Amino acid sequence: MIFDILLLSLAVIFIGGGLVLVKQLFKLAFFVQSFGSLLLTIVGIFVVASREDSGAQFTDKFHPQFGIDPLSGLFLIVLGIVAIPVLVFSGSYLDSDSKRDRVIACLSAAFIIILAGTVCARDPITLLGGWELMTIIPASIILIAHGNDKSVRRSGFIYVAITHIGGVGTWIAVILLAKYGVMGGGTHLHEGSPIQIAIVLSSLIGMGTKAGLMPMHVWLPRAHPAAPAPVSALMSGVMINIPIYLLIRVLVYWCRPLPVWVGIVVLTLGAVSAVGGVVYALFERQLKKLLALSSIENMGIITLGLGASLALTAHGKNDWAAIALAAALLHIINHSIFKSLLFLSAGTFEKTAKQLHIDRLSGLVHSLPVVGVSFFIGVMAISGLPPLNGFISEWLTIQSLIHVSTYGNFADGTIGAISLVAMAATVTLALFCFTKVIGLVLLGKEQFPRKKESSDSLLMGISTLFLALLCIILGLIPALYFGRLMQIAPWSSNKVSLLVLNLPGTGSLSPLCLGAILISGTFVLFLLRSNRSAKAAPTWLCGQKLTSKLYWSGSGFTKPARMILEPIIRPTRKITRVEELGITQSIEYEGEVPHLIESKLYSPISTWFMKVATIIRRVQSGSLGSYAAYLIGLIFVLLIAFRLGIL
Amino acid sequence: MHFTSITAGLVQLFGGLVASMLIPGFIQSLKAKLQGRVGPGSLQPYRDLRRLWNKSTVSVSNSTLTYRIAPSVVATSMGLAVLVVPVSSLGPNWGVGHDAFVLGGVLALSRLALVLAAWDTRNGFSLMAASRDLTISIFTETAMLISLSVAALVAGSTDMQVMISRISLFHVWSSPAPSLALAAFSLVVIAETGHQPVDNPDTHLELTMIHEGMTLEYAGRDLAMLQWSGGVKHWIMLVMLSEIFLPHFQNAYLQLLCLPLTVIAICIILAIVESTIVKMRLLNVPRFLGLGTILAFMGILALKVPS
Repeated sequence: MIFDILLLSLAVIFIGGGLVLVKQLFKLAFFVQSFGSLLLTIVGIFVVASREDSGAQFTDKFHPQFGIDPLSGLFLIVLGIVAIPVLVFSGSYLDSDSKRDRVIACLSAAFIIILAGTVCARDPITLLGGWELMTIIPASIILIAHGNDKSVRRSGFIYVAITHIGGVGTWIAVILLAKYGVMGGGTHLHEGSPIQIAIVLSSLIGMGTKAGLMPMHVWLPRAHPAAPAPVSALMSGVMINIPIYLLIRVLVYWCRPLPVWVGIVVLTLGAVSAVGGVVYALFERQLKKLLALSSIENMGIITLGLGASLALTAHGKNDWAAIALAAALLHIINHSIFKSLLFLSAGTFEKTAKQLHIDRLSGLVHSLPVVGVSFFIGVMAISGLPPLNGFISEWLTIQSLIHVSTYGNFADGTIGAISLVAMAATVTLALFCFTKVIGLVLLGKEQFPRKKESSDSLLMGISTLFLALLCIILGLIPALYFGRLMQIAPWSSNKVSLLVLNLPGTGSLSPLCLGAILISGTFVLFLLRSNRSAKAAPTWLCGQKLTSKLYWSGSGFTKPARMILEPIIRPTRKITRVEELGITQSIEYEGEVPHLIESKLYSPISTWFMKVATIIRRVQSGSLGSYAAYLIGLIFVLLIAFRLGIL
Repeated sequence: MHFTSITAGLVQLFGGLVASMLIPGFIQSLKAKLQGRVGPGSLQPYRDLRRLWNKSTVSVSNSTLTYRIAPSVVATSMGLAVLVVPVSSLGPNWGVGHDAFVLGGVLALSRLALVLAAWDTRNGFSLMAASRDLTISIFTETAMLISLSVAALVAGSTDMQVMISRISLFHVWSSPAPSLALAAFSLVVIAETGHQPVDNPDTHLELTMIHEGMTLEYAGRDLAMLQWSGGVKHWIMLVMLSEIFLPHFQNAYLQLLCLPLTVIAICIILAIVESTIVKMRLLNVPRFLGLGTILAFMGILALKVPS
C-alpha cells in the first residue's frame, strides 16, 4: 500500500516533469511536481514512523527491485522536503519563455526521480544504474545551462571524470557485496576478513568521492556552483547525501561487525573534510563556491558522526552508537535544509545583483527582505547557534565524539579527541566564515535599486521562508523525532524522553526552554532599550565620511586568520606598484589561497598521465603501413614464442 | 526542593546577574593600587552603568535592526549562560540544564550578534576588532572545548554539576588530566575575559584593542548592556575555573562558601599578571592558546594511556 503511494508520487513528478516542457503549463507543472514531492515526504515520514518495510527486500540477483525501509524512508523525507521548495522556487527562477530553461526543468524532475530510485533500489543493477545517472543528469544540466562557457565545460569534465574514477570503488564494492551474497542478507562477513576489508576500502573511496570528502573533493567546489540555483540546491542538499546513505548501508548494515580501525579511518576522513572544507570556505570569494566548500565541511561533520558510531559499535556501546548514527542522520536532514535554503537565496541574489562576488554584493536585505531574513536564519543554523537545528546535530556529534574518547582504547580514544579538536575548530571557523557572508551580502549600504515586488519574488520568498521555518521548528523540538532516528540503527537501543533531550552522560538539552528564554529576554531588553530617545549619527570613523571605498572586504576581514594559518594553507600574493617620478600612482593587489590538494596531489598525477599518454600516442602514427608492420611484427613474435615452446 | 539547592540558586542568580560587575571593578582597583595610583573603587562599574542607563542611545545611519538588537541578544545570552553554569554540585536546573557544550553555543550566539553589529555599521575599527576576536576565538573555543572534554572524561558526563561533584573527589587528582585541564582552562579564562597578555581592557587605542573595539558604536543603554555582559562573562569564566577546574570541596555549602574566596584570589592573580606582563603581538596569541589546547589534549591522552 505505502509502496504504491511511493510509485504514485514518482508518477506525479514524472507527469509534472513532462508538463514543464509545455510553455503554457510551466508554473502549473511545478506545482504538480511539488505535490508529488509532498507525497514522497509523507511516504518517508510514514515509513520512518511505523518502522515497516514495504516493497521488495534487498537481493543479490541482477534484476530490478524496489522497496523502502526506514533508512530509505529517511532519505526520501530529505529528498521530498528539499524538492518541494526547490520546485516552487524554480517556478519563478526559471524562465518559461526560454527553451533551455524548460529542458533544465524537465531534467531536474528526472533528477528527483533518479534520486528517489537510487534510495529505493533493492538490487545491485538498479543501484549502480541510479548511481551513474545521479552523476550524469546534473552534469548534463550544467552543460545545457552554461555550455558556451569554456571554464564551465572544464568543470563539467572534471566533475564527470573524478566521480567516475572514484565511482569505480562503488562498483567494486556493490558487485563484491552481491557476489558474496551479503546484500541479500544471506551471509555475514567475518570481522577483518579480506573480502570485508576490500568492500570497506573500495566503498570508502567510491562513495567518499561522490560525497565530496577530502582529499577526493576537488570536483565538488567546481560542479555545484556551475549549476542553476535550484539544481545546486538539489545537488548540495540531496545528491551528496546519497553516497552517505550507501556508506551507512555498507558499513552499518551489511558489513557488521567491523574492526575498530574502520571507525578510525572514517573519523579521520571526517575530521580532515570538516576542517579543510571550512578553512577554504573562509577564504572563498564567490558565494556559491563558498557554499559548496561548506558542504564539504558538513559532509565531514556527518562522517564524524558515522565514524563515532562505528567506533562505539566496535566497543559494544550500542546506545551511544545509535545516538551517534542518529546524530549523523539528523545532520544530514539539517544540512540538506539549510544548504538548499542558502543555495536558493544565492540564486535570488544572483538574479538581483547579476553576480555573486561577495565583496560586490551589499545591503541585499533592503531589497530582498523575505529572502534576506530567511538567508540570515539559514546562516545562523549552519553556524550551529542555539536554538536552531544546526546546533542540535552539532551538539549531538560533539557528545558522540566525547563518548568515543570515553569508551575507546588508546588508538580510537586519541582519534576521538583529535576529532573533537577538529569539530571545535570547525564550529568556530564556520561562525567566522558565515558572519563574513552575512556582513558582506546582507548588511551595509544598499548597492542596487529596489525592484518592484512581483509574484515571482513572492514564490522565491515563500520557498526560502519555508526552509527557514523548518530550521527553527526542527531546532526547537528535536526530542520529538530523535528517538525515531535512533531506532533506524539495526540494533536496539533505549528511547529518549520527550521535549528535553536527556541522553545518558550529558547535561540535558532543552531547546524549547533555551529558545523561550533567548527570545523573551531579548524582547524585554529591546523594549527597555527602545524607550530611550536615539540620536541619529553617521558611523564613527575619526571624522571621516564612510564611503564604499572604505568598506571592509572579505579578504581584509579574514586576514588575521590567513596570516596565522599561512604555514598550512600557503596563500600567495602579488603587489604591483606603478610609480611615476617617485610618486605612487596606483597599487594593484592580487591575493589567492590556492587549493593545495589540487596543485600538489592532483596536478602532478594528471601531468604524469598526460606525459605517459604522449609517449603511448607515438605508437598511433595513423598510416596504414605502420599498422600492417605491427601485425607482421606480432606474428613474428608469436612464431618465435611458439618455437621456443613458450606458447 | 532541598534547602541547599535554593541557596545555590540564589547565589547563582545574585552572583551572576548582580554581583558580577564587582569582578572587573575589583581587578581595576587592584591594578591601580599595584601601579601606585589611587584609581576608581570596586563599585565604579555600577556607577558607570547608572550613568549610561540614563543616556540616549545612538541610531547609526544606514544600520538595520541587527545593530539595534545586538546588545539585547548579547545580554540575554549572557544571562542564559549564568543559568547554565552551576555554582555548586547541587542546585536548580532552571529548565535549561547544565551542559558544558550548551554553554559553548550560547557564548557563540553572543559573539555572532556583536560581529554582525560591526558589519552592520561598517565601522572599520569595530570590524578590525571583530576580525581579531573571531581569529582568536578559533583557538580560545577549541582550548575551552577540549579542557571541558577532559573534565567530562574525568567525570563521565558533560553535565557541569556532575563535573563539580566528581572532580571534588581526591583520587581523581592522582591522574595528571585534571591538572592539565586546569592549566589549559586558565589560559582560556585570560583570553575570554579579555585580559593581558591577550587583550588590554584599559586601552582605547584603536590598533591594539579587541573587545573594546566592537562596542565603539554604542552609547547609553546599549553600552550599559554590553558592559554588564562583560562583567557576567568574568563571572562565568571565574566560576567555572574555581568550581570545576580548581580543587574544591565535596560539600555543596563549603563549595558556596569558598567560591567568593577563590574568585577574589583569581582576581588578584589576574591583576598581578596584567600589571607585570605586557600584551603580546596578535599573531602570537594562537601560540599561547594553542599551548592550552595541547595541554588539554595531553590530559585526554593521559586518561587513555594503558596502565
